[in-house]
Amino acid sequence: MQTIHRNPNVMWREETDALAQVQEALDRGDEVEETGTSVLFSGGTMISLNYLGTEIWKLCDGRTMDGIVAELLPQFEVDEAVLREDVQAFLDELAAKGFISYAE
Amino acid sequence: MQSNMVLEAPLTINWAINNSCNFACRHCYSRGDTHEELPRDVLLACLEKVAKAGVFSVNFGGGEPLLHPGLLEIARHASGLGLRVSMNSNGWLMDREMAAALRDAGFTKVGISIDSHVHEVHDRFRGVAGSHGRAVAALGHLAEAGITTSISTVICRINHTAIDDLVAFARDQGVGQLNFHNFKCSGLGLSHKDELDLSPEEWKEFYRGALAAREREKGLDISLDDPIIALLGARDAGSLVKGSVCGKLSLNIKANGDMTPCGFIPVVIGNIVRDDLKQVWRDSAVLEKMRNKKPTGKCSGCSKYEDCLGGCSARALALTGDLNSPDPHCWA
Repeated sequence: MQTIHRNPNVMWREETDALAQVQEALDRGDEVEETGTSVLFSGGTMISLNYLGTEIWKLCDGRTMDGIVAELLPQFEVDEAVLREDVQAFLDELAAKGFISYAE
Repeated sequence: MQSNMVLEAPLTINWAINNSCNFACRHCYSRGDTHEELPRDVLLACLEKVAKAGVFSVNFGGGEPLLHPGLLEIARHASGLGLRVSMNSNGWLMDREMAAALRDAGFTKVGISIDSHVHEVHDRFRGVAGSHGRAVAALGHLAEAGITTSISTVICRINHTAIDDLVAFARDQGVGQLNFHNFKCSGLGLSHKDELDLSPEEWKEFYRGALAAREREKGLDISLDDPIIALLGARDAGSLVKGSVCGKLSLNIKANGDMTPCGFIPVVIGNIVRDDLKQVWRDSAVLEKMRNKKPTGKCSGCSKYEDCLGGCSARALALTGDLNSPDPHCWA
């Protein structure tokens, strides 16, 4: 079974102010896709992740894809197939940048 | 993936832990700085403040950091706090034992300043005979200790047409990264500007060549930290922000604890001993101005402004008195 792991050399942190703003926006029903709530740095490359991306990133602790989707599904009002597709695309992008790895 | 977010603390601190130096570089930005240094206990406590604020990495500079008697203890403390520790050095005091001690203290990367592939040119620029040979030897000692190495080269009148030679030299030394630092008119750099700085057209030619080399050279990371390369349709790879990273991703701390937006902008915005880092980072009017530059002069109406954001604020401040002015190196 394939598991997903954060690269331990990646330095990262959540931005608490941005996270608070996103939570307020979510309460109002506003879009938060464009707001970064975490920043990751590795090998000279920096990326910022939005709320969903950050939640996915935090779950890359050796879980399987099924495990990540099962954890996220109750938090986001979205069809499971759509969520699975989004998560997979996001993880593939992180893997291409070397921020995560897949293991069997 | 998002871009252009405002962070609540810097990712990197460039920390000049001392101003003592055994060299006499023609372009030194800090030679005129105070020699007041933070006491050991205060410095260690400040590192804790920095780590607590969420800073990822600290790059020690100076002065020459190897002249600081507490460097190893400071680095051990910083790396123990989870900070990634690196350093820039002239390499003169590096030997096999020191390189191993740096590794054991937590240094993951050390940059050595080498400004020319020609011994005599480097030695004359750095003011010390034999400095080129010692710098090259330092790279070997560091590599042997397992520390990632890079070469830092200040581009100016002595080397701007030698891109291919500098690249070949870096490859010969086996470094993974070659940093082409743009010349800043700060400290002695301002005093020697007429002797060392290039014309805007010469900068354009240099960056054309450097970007071509960056594209061509595989396995050697050629870093260009100058936002003005946006004029050629390029930017420093991997950056979260447009324009200069100073005050957006990084901050400078001087030997006495004073915080400045970068090492080349002599505007004190706080002191790490006295002030809260996150509060200064959030509330500084100077940083606010740097993050929200407005096009003036020839920047107004420039199609590249959105990416370049006026270029290097340090150069603009040094030569015009206003960090919001167009970068004097701009050739547009």
